Amino acid sequence: MHRVNLGEFEELVLLVAAILHDNAYGISVMEEIEVQTERKINISAVHSALDRLENKGFLKSHVGGATKERGGRRKRFFTVTVAGKGALDFIHQQRNDLYNQIKPADLGLNSYGPTRYSAT
Amino acid sequence: MDRPDIQPPKWALRLLRWYCKPRALEIIEGDIYELFEKRLQTQNPGAARRMFGWDVLRFFRLRYIKGISDLNSINNIAMFKNYFKVSLRSLLKHKFYSFINIAGLSLGLAACLMITMYVSNELSYDSFHKDADRIYRMANGQNGNWTPPRLGIQAKMDFPEIEEIVRLQGPYSQTFNVNGKVFREARGFNADSTFHKVFTIEFIEGNPDEALKEPYSVVLTQSIAEKYFPNESAYGQLVKLDGVTKKITGVIADPPTNTHFYYDFINSYPNETWVTVGNWTGNNFFTYAKLAKGTSLEGLEAKFPEFRRRYAGKDMLANSEYADYDELLAARSSPPTYSLKPMQDLHLHYPRFALGSNGSIDNVYTFSAVAVFILLIACINFMNLSTARSAARSKEVGMRKVLGSQRKNLISQFLIESMIVSVVAMILAMGLAHLFLGGFNQLANRTFTAADLFAPTTLLYLVVLVLIVGLLAGSYPAFYLSGFKPIKALKGEVKSGSGNAFLRKGLVTFQFAISIFLIISTAVVFTQLRFMSNQKLGFDAEQVLVVKKVSRLKQKLVSFKNTVLANPNITEVATSDRYLSGFISNYGYLTVEENPRNTSLMNIFASGNYQKALNLEIKEGRFFSPELVSDSLNVIINEATAKWLGWDEVIGRKVSRGPGAEFTIIGVVKDFHYTSLKRSIEPLILRNVSSTGWINENMDWWGANYASIKVTGDFQGAVAHVQQAWERAVPDEPFDYTFLDDSFAQLYDEEKRFGNLFTASSGLAILIACLGLFALAAFTLERRFKEIAVRKVLGASVGSLTMLIITDFTKLVLLGAVIAIPAGYFVMSDWLGDFAYQMNIGAFVLVIPALVVAVIAWLTVGYQSAKTALGNPVKALRSE
Repeated sequence: MHRVNLGEFEELVLLVAAILHDNAYGISVMEEIEVQTERKINISAVHSALDRLENKGFLKSHVGGATKERGGRRKRFFTVTVAGKGALDFIHQQRNDLYNQIKPADLGLNSYGPTRYSAT
Repeated sequence: MDRPDIQPPKWALRLLRWYCKPRALEIIEGDIYELFEKRLQTQNPGAARRMFGWDVLRFFRLRYIKGISDLNSINNIAMFKNYFKVSLRSLLKHKFYSFINIAGLSLGLAACLMITMYVSNELSYDSFHKDADRIYRMANGQNGNWTPPRLGIQAKMDFPEIEEIVRLQGPYSQTFNVNGKVFREARGFNADSTFHKVFTIEFIEGNPDEALKEPYSVVLTQSIAEKYFPNESAYGQLVKLDGVTKKITGVIADPPTNTHFYYDFINSYPNETWVTVGNWTGNNFFTYAKLAKGTSLEGLEAKFPEFRRRYAGKDMLANSEYADYDELLAARSSPPTYSLKPMQDLHLHYPRFALGSNGSIDNVYTFSAVAVFILLIACINFMNLSTARSAARSKEVGMRKVLGSQRKNLISQFLIESMIVSVVAMILAMGLAHLFLGGFNQLANRTFTAADLFAPTTLLYLVVLVLIVGLLAGSYPAFYLSGFKPIKALKGEVKSGSGNAFLRKGLVTFQFAISIFLIISTAVVFTQLRFMSNQKLGFDAEQVLVVKKVSRLKQKLVSFKNTVLANPNITEVATSDRYLSGFISNYGYLTVEENPRNTSLMNIFASGNYQKALNLEIKEGRFFSPELVSDSLNVIINEATAKWLGWDEVIGRKVSRGPGAEFTIIGVVKDFHYTSLKRSIEPLILRNVSSTGWINENMDWWGANYASIKVTGDFQGAVAHVQQAWERAVPDEPFDYTFLDDSFAQLYDEEKRFGNLFTASSGLAILIACLGLFALAAFTLERRFKEIAVRKVLGASVGSLTMLIITDFTKLVLLGAVIAIPAGYFVMSDWLGDFAYQMNIGAFVLVIPALVVAVIAWLTVGYQSAKTALGNPVKALRSE
């Protein structure tokens, strides 16, 4: 896999869908993201991300049964496809590889603080 | 659910359902509904409802909005394509009918397009002025065109409601002398320096505030300036205007043509008493006032009677028989006053007040009526032909219904068909209108160009018109045809039923009625014109040449006359201050008797040989003697004046124009027409102008403005001779002349144009109606083909068969005539009401038009009937 075409938010949604396994639908994905990342997001953003992922073949969906709390409206559940799993693995691998190449000194965290304050 | 009564906002749900793709709708709706329920647990209902609405709005993304593919009308589009195709095929199959439909409609639309352009142009007059709705023309009384010099200034001082005033005079025809080159310009005005504050005017060069302040200044329009000074700036140059040197103090943009006074140049006023002081009974100016915002017109006008009394009272009493103003008031039905006419109404509603534009609201109405009539006739053709052909289309309708077409689908199909015809007709109409624009300009007396014709607004009107016509013409066939019962339609039982035939006949009758009406109008207009030109004028207008601008001659007048008289064909050279058929002003006179009476008389100053030159008939007494100098205080009156005076013996009696200006009546001439026969002969007085051209002995009042030259024999040669003499006498003034009989004929130009308009429109109406009739007859004959064959086999003659068909149509013409003749009579009697001398609307002008239409109808129908009747009956019958 040369390049995985995934946006940051899409990646997040794909990960959460994988976590939720077989209970991934619009609301549950949104709530999970809110809980885990403390990001405030709108349901419409989640929907469009899920749709895009499905179009890219990383998710597949099926329509579930009616439930009471939605006034009888059905849910669309999403599950991660093999390609979706591959994409997650690839990204994870790539990030880890990159991260591991960092030498602790290169971060240079300490060298910044004093100079910045001394300027004033 | 804890609180089942709380529901999400309805508008949001409705919005979502409206925009959202059906595929995604249920899931989205479910999710935001679930969120709403959850929020209800933790938040107050209002917030939850607001959040629901917000969610709906957030879902308004391209991804979730219905696209073309989601419309269930994808099927409809295919059907529309089908309708379009079927319509085109049907039109192409019946080329003859389509041709007649489209030809008729495009003629009608072309006429409408031009008339719409004309009407919208007429209605736009003077609207380009800033604050046009606040600009008014001040009238003397209710109808007095001319106002006293100080009216405007005094009114502005007295009434804060009047923001600004300007006085105008014109249009004048004046001669420019620019470095030796002579130009004649016909549209010059004199104006106050406040001109630019009342009217919108764009200065290209010069200071608007200063341009008209100094005497002997002139402001030129750009096109005139460029004509005179092609390669240099006109600003600051000196020119000679009618012999007076003036400075060009400004160059202004050409005014738009839709104005009630079109100017080529504007003169400033000289600093003279007639301009600055004058008196309140000498009315020489047009006064315009710009009112302050929010002024009540009635409130201001209510103050005018008192205003007039205060300022004009003294002057009004000076030349009257009344002792004081109250006595004058008592003698009048309403107090003397001034009034305000909205400037934007001058062109159409007060054409007498317009300075050079020739508008008439009647013309606008007539043109509009003609447009509507012609369009109606074209629409009727369309409706008639469509319904007449309904039987032929009935199987198609039946089949479509069987296959599931609903009535509304069929209606839209037929409307689409009529729209196609209208749009094709519209395109043709634009071409036709372009072709006939020149002719239309002559009818309307305007100078429209193709650019006006294809201006966006005109085209917008046209498109709207086409939509209306398409709907109007298409709606009846659409509703009628779509109403067929499918089984009957397929069995072929649908016939053009009697009700349908009745309507069709009614429509044809209506077409005939309109055609006959228009022809009657044409006949009346031309008969009246003929009547007027055949009337005796009371003098000889033939072979009389009127030379204008004779005032330029001054001391050369006598020698000019002698030079002219050297030609043996010229018998008289008479001079006068006005010429017959031109504008003649009236003067106030008092009778000299115990109880003096006041009247105004048409006033002409004429030389002693005027009577001989024009061959006026003397009824009593004598005319001025060319030799006697003492005739300056003698006058001659016409019969109408003698009648008004009512004296047993008028010769030797006196009339006066105030103290020290008494005139003795020495003769009475027979009544003669001095202007158009629209006006009756009013009391007229002739006063003497000496052979040297001066009216008074002090020689400061010039009276010889026109020379009437009587010619016998070679007219062309005589005119050339006079021209030579003129050019030798005043080389810097172009020779300007008219022939008296032509000049009288020109008084009826407006009526001639009116007649031509009716000729054109009745021709067009007849043409379109005949096209329709032709097609309808063809159709009727097609349906009665077998009937005629059977009749022929049974022994009917060709003549009787032709008559059979013709009689049917003749009845319709007769019915049309019954409607049109009274209508024509009333409308045209009303039109004739404007004329003092009227023809009688005899049976002749009413019946002949009906006969003409009948003959045209017979020719149209008869040709086809005869052709069918002559045909071999075997051909019609053998297929049975």
